[in-house]
Amino acid sequence: MKLAVQVGSLRFKNPLIAASGTFGYGVEYEGLLDLSRLGGLVSKGLYLEPRDGCATPRIAETPSGLLNAIGLQGVGVRVFVKDVLPRLARYDTAVLVNVCGDTVEEYAEVARILDGAPGVHGLEINISCPNVKKGGMAFGGDPVMTHEVVAAVRKATRLPVIPKLSPNVADITVFARAAEEAGADALSCINTLLGLAVDVETRRPRLAFGTGGLSGPAIRPVAVRMAWQAARAVKIPVIGVGGITAARDALEFLIAGCRAVQIGTANFVDPGLYDRILMDLAEYLERHGLADVNEVVGTLQYPLT
Amino acid sequence: MPANRQAPLVRREALGGAYHLLTFQHREASREARAGQFVMIKAGLSAEPPLRRPFSILAVDPERETFTLFVKAVGEGTRALCAMTEGELAQCLAPLGRAFTPPPAGTEAVMVAGGYGIAPFRLFSEELRRAGRSGRVFYGGRTVADLQLRDGFEPLGVPLVPATEDGSLGARGRVTVPLEAHLDGGPGPLRLYACGPDAMLRAVARLAEARGLAAEVSLDPWMGCGIGTCLGCVVLVRPADGSRPRYRCACTEGPVFDAATVVWPEHP
Repeated sequence: MKLAVQVGSLRFKNPLIAASGTFGYGVEYEGLLDLSRLGGLVSKGLYLEPRDGCATPRIAETPSGLLNAIGLQGVGVRVFVKDVLPRLARYDTAVLVNVCGDTVEEYAEVARILDGAPGVHGLEINISCPNVKKGGMAFGGDPVMTHEVVAAVRKATRLPVIPKLSPNVADITVFARAAEEAGADALSCINTLLGLAVDVETRRPRLAFGTGGLSGPAIRPVAVRMAWQAARAVKIPVIGVGGITAARDALEFLIAGCRAVQIGTANFVDPGLYDRILMDLAEYLERHGLADVNEVVGTLQYPLT
Repeated sequence: MPANRQAPLVRREALGGAYHLLTFQHREASREARAGQFVMIKAGLSAEPPLRRPFSILAVDPERETFTLFVKAVGEGTRALCAMTEGELAQCLAPLGRAFTPPPAGTEAVMVAGGYGIAPFRLFSEELRRAGRSGRVFYGGRTVADLQLRDGFEPLGVPLVPATEDGSLGARGRVTVPLEAHLDGGPGPLRLYACGPDAMLRAVARLAEARGLAAEVSLDPWMGCGIGTCLGCVVLVRPADGSRPRYRCACTEGPVFDAATVVWPEHP
């Protein structure tokens, strides 16, 4: 059974990638699972400097979902390069780094630092975090800024550049095309959906930040729809992400046209899910008489003819 | 090392009201868990509720390879756990987090529990007994029905002093009433350990600060993952080097913290 997939110049040994913000820096999972089993992993978002993140409470459970406003707490790119990358080098998996910035220049500078760092296979550009006052969704909600950030990162690195698009826009295809024109090698679709959960006793938001980003199975149909739209709008490959908990969920994205998928919130629920999904994915392919996972990519029978 | 396992429920005991004792098979937790450590657990494989829940470990049995939780069914996750039948599987990652620091020789462990915050102190009392340390428990709740499991301490040589807000058992009022009376009575060297509602933990922390006592508190924020990746359960903590407070994961650097280092949030 062939599970390896190609996303631009990046090869993943299987289509399962751990999503940014749900897998720490990867090393937290040492001992719980063999990181070499993953197709790849995306680090927690990194700025130039360490960040404190949002006040607490930061997470709230919602129906089939998780609303979060963590605010990109992190160690900063230099600490990551010095302390984390050498530990990840022991594993045979693709390491992508999620790049953040308050300004276009900061994105480019973080990308430059990572460009020379051994063990980084690609950069995911975070233009879609809903939980920061600057950067994040402010860039990903404006196609001109999307183009500007992606172009600046493109210039700063030879590594594959993968913007992670926001679902909090009217038409994701506009952003997909802007990113493609700016030189993106692939797209991650989607980040969290902007949400608000209210504590009716106190009449305050359940999160200290107020609004938050919704993830988990609750958003899966939205994510599949947007990844499908993006995949049809551009020639570069799309990585699907949103609410995957099982092989059948991953297959929805692959059939809808994604070359690979990311697993996010489900990492919190069951760090052991990769083996289960890989086994079920192989079982599905066998049952459908397929020898290669790539054979399902983009096979969605829709529009119906 | 924590292990992620499908843990079968081997014994379920309803204690009355919403309280249950749930015993699960889990080799690593049964052998390695220390008092104050916790498990992340969820009933079955269903999508709802999405997240596992953290629980302090009440007891372990290394021979049978089990651990026991004290669970009050209050929300969706706890109700699903308490509705499990023996033989059903839970998803369980354990043991996790930082345990209580045992007191030095000659120092008494004064445990302060509120409601189901009693859970870690049963295991702690067993550890104290094995280490030849003395301990006592101050146990508070709204009413007598909330003071479950109080008979388990005296046999371990740990006196238990109850307090209820309605006066139905022990001192009337908050648990800090008999606690302060004990502290006023000139006890020997002691260290405070607290687990319960945030308001109680804050009261114990304030009291410890005012009296110059060492205290550890077990915090219970909402947790996403239990292993330090979601950063959802962070607590603002003053570093030992005196630098400005930083967010620290309750799951990996806690749930037990030195009370003097915790910066309590302004709104409850």
